[in-house]
Amino acid sequence: MNPRERFHAVVNHREPDRVPIDWGRHVGSIHRNGYAKLAAYLGDPDLQNKDVILDRMVQNVVLDEKLLQRFHVDFRWLSPHWVGVREVPGQDAYIDMWGITWTYMLNAYSLTGSPLRNITTLAELERHPWPDPYNPAIFTGLRAIARHWHENSDYVVVADSIKGGLLTKALQIRGYEAFFADLALNQPFAEALLDKLLWLYKEMWTSYLKEVGPYVQLVYFTDDIGAQNSMMISPDTFRTLIKPRLKSLIDHIKGQADVKFMYHTDGSVVPVLGDFADMGVDILNPIQTSAMGMDTYMMKETYGDRLCFHGAVDVQQMLPFSTPAQVKYDVAKRIWDLGRGGGFILSSCHDVGEDVPPENVLAMFEAAREYGQYPLKLEGVLKPEHLRPVVPEPAAAAAEPQRARPRPRR
Amino acid sequence: MSERREELLDELYNHTLNGEAEPVVALTHEALALGIPAVEVLFDGLIPALEEVGRLFEEGTYFVPEMIIAAKAMRAAMTILQPLIAQTGAKPLGVFVMGTVKGDIHDIGKDLCNIMLEGAGFKVIDIGVNVAPEAFANAIRTHHPDALGMSAFLTTTMPMFKVNIDYLTSLGLRDQTLIYVGGAPVTAEYAQKAGADGYAPNGSALVRDLKARLKITA
Repeated sequence: MNPRERFHAVVNHREPDRVPIDWGRHVGSIHRNGYAKLAAYLGDPDLQNKDVILDRMVQNVVLDEKLLQRFHVDFRWLSPHWVGVREVPGQDAYIDMWGITWTYMLNAYSLTGSPLRNITTLAELERHPWPDPYNPAIFTGLRAIARHWHENSDYVVVADSIKGGLLTKALQIRGYEAFFADLALNQPFAEALLDKLLWLYKEMWTSYLKEVGPYVQLVYFTDDIGAQNSMMISPDTFRTLIKPRLKSLIDHIKGQADVKFMYHTDGSVVPVLGDFADMGVDILNPIQTSAMGMDTYMMKETYGDRLCFHGAVDVQQMLPFSTPAQVKYDVAKRIWDLGRGGGFILSSCHDVGEDVPPENVLAMFEAAREYGQYPLKLEGVLKPEHLRPVVPEPAAAAAEPQRARPRPRR
Repeated sequence: MSERREELLDELYNHTLNGEAEPVVALTHEALALGIPAVEVLFDGLIPALEEVGRLFEEGTYFVPEMIIAAKAMRAAMTILQPLIAQTGAKPLGVFVMGTVKGDIHDIGKDLCNIMLEGAGFKVIDIGVNVAPEAFANAIRTHHPDALGMSAFLTTTMPMFKVNIDYLTSLGLRDQTLIYVGGAPVTAEYAQKAGADGYAPNGSALVRDLKARLKITA
C-alpha cells in the first residue's frame, strides 16, 4: 500500500499493511536543540533546516525531507503562515495576530500578555483589532506545495491548524483565570467571545481550503480541553458551550472539501471521548497516555469503532525518561492497544523535547516499523497482561457527579 | 442568635461553594453585625466551604472554573475579615511561600494550590513565576515559612527543583523549611529524587499532607 491507501484503510477502520507513521506538524515535531542532538547522533552534519523554525512559540523545526523518508513518515504537512506579528521593542518577545504577547524564556516562548484581560463589555470585545480572516498572506504558496505533494507523491497531504483552538484561544486572549471565571459567571460574554473566534476560524478555513482543498486528505484543528488529572472544564460546560460550536466548525470544514478531521487536545479527556465522535471528529490526537485515565486499551475497546487515534507516544514521561528498549516496548503496546483492526496512526504525541535522547527517537521509529506490520504479531513481544488487559470502566460511566455536602456543624 | 448563626453560616458556605461573591459579601457583613466573630466566620463558614470545593475537585465534580469563582468569593469575604482577624492577634495555621521555577511562567497549578492553602487558613506568600534560585532563598530569609512550594509545568523546567534545593543547601537554608514540589509532569518519585520533602498532585492533597507534617489536626 502507498501512504494514501494506508491512510484510507486506517480511517475506514480496516487493517492497512502497516501502522502509518507521522511526524513534523506544528504540535508534533522536535525542538531545535533536540534536532541538533539528533543530527549529531545520526552523524549527519548536512541535515537541513536546523534554523528553520516551524512554530516560533515552541521553537521546533521544519524537519528535513531526508529525515521524513528515513523514518518512513506517511504524511506531509502544510503550515499556514504567521502574519501581523509585531516584535516587542527591547525584549525577546512578540505580539501575534490575535494581540497575544509571547516572551522568550529558557528555550521557548511563553504567554505573557492577554489583550482582553481587562475588558468588561461586548462593545469592547468587538473593538479589539481582530485578525483579518481574508488576509491571503496567511496561505501564500500553500496551493503550489499542496498540489505538488498531491500530484507527485503518494503522501497524505494535511492542512495543519491555523494555530490555536476555540477554548485555547479564548483562554489565551482573555487570560486563563478571567475566561475560566467567564465560563462560570458571565456566560453571555464567554459565548460572545467563542462566537467571535468561531466565525473567524470558519472564514479562515474557507480561505484556506479554497487554496488547498482539492489536494488535502486531512485537516487538523488544535485545541486543548484536558489537564493532567481531569478535564479543564466540566463535561457539562464542554457539552453546552464548546461542543456545539466545534461541531458547527467541523460541519463547515467538511462542507468545503472532501477531508477527514483530526482534533487535538492534550490531557485527560475520557468523559467526552464519545462526544468527539458525535461532533464529527474522525481522528483524535494526541492521546496523552501520561494523563489521568487515558488508558489506550480501554479507549480502543470502548470508542474504537467510532474514533481513530493518532499519536500515543508520550513525550512527557516515557520518551525522556526511558531506555530505548523501554521505548520500543511502549510503542509495541500502543500499536496493540490502538491498532488492532486499523484505526491508529503512530506519532510522538507532542513535540519531542530537547530532553529526549536521540536513541529514543530512533527506537520509536524502529519499533513502529518492526511491530506495526499487519497482521499484528505481538504475542512474543508483549507480556500476557498487556496482550489481554483488564479493561477499566470508562470514567464517564463510572463517575457520577457528586453533590456538595452540607456544612459540617461543630 | 445561635439558630440564626447556623443559618447564616450555612448560607455563607453554600454561596461560597457556588462562587457567588455578592451574597458572600452581604452575608459576611450580616454575620459580623450579628456579633459572630470574624475568626468564626472564617473557620466555620468559609474554610469548610473551600475544603468541600477541594473535595469536589478531587472527586471530578468541580473543575477549574468552579474552583476559581469559589476562591474569588472567599477572597471578597476575606478583604472584610482580614483586618478584623489581624486585630485579634490570631495567627494563620502556617506560612507558605509559593513560586514557579525559573524558565517557567505557568501559574494555574500554583494558583489552585494557593486557593486551597488560603482556603485552609494558611498565609500564602506568592513570589510569582519564573522565580530565580536567589529569590527562593531570599523568601526563606524574609518570611521564615513553614513550607516552600515550587511549581513546574514542563519536563524541561522540572530540573530546576534540584538546582534550587542544592542552592538552598549550599546557603544553609535547606533545613529551615519544608520543601514541596509539584506540577503537571511531576511525580512523587521525581520529587524524592530532586530532594524535596513532599509532593502533591493537587491543592487539597497538598493541604492534607502539610497539615499532617505540621501536626495540625483542625
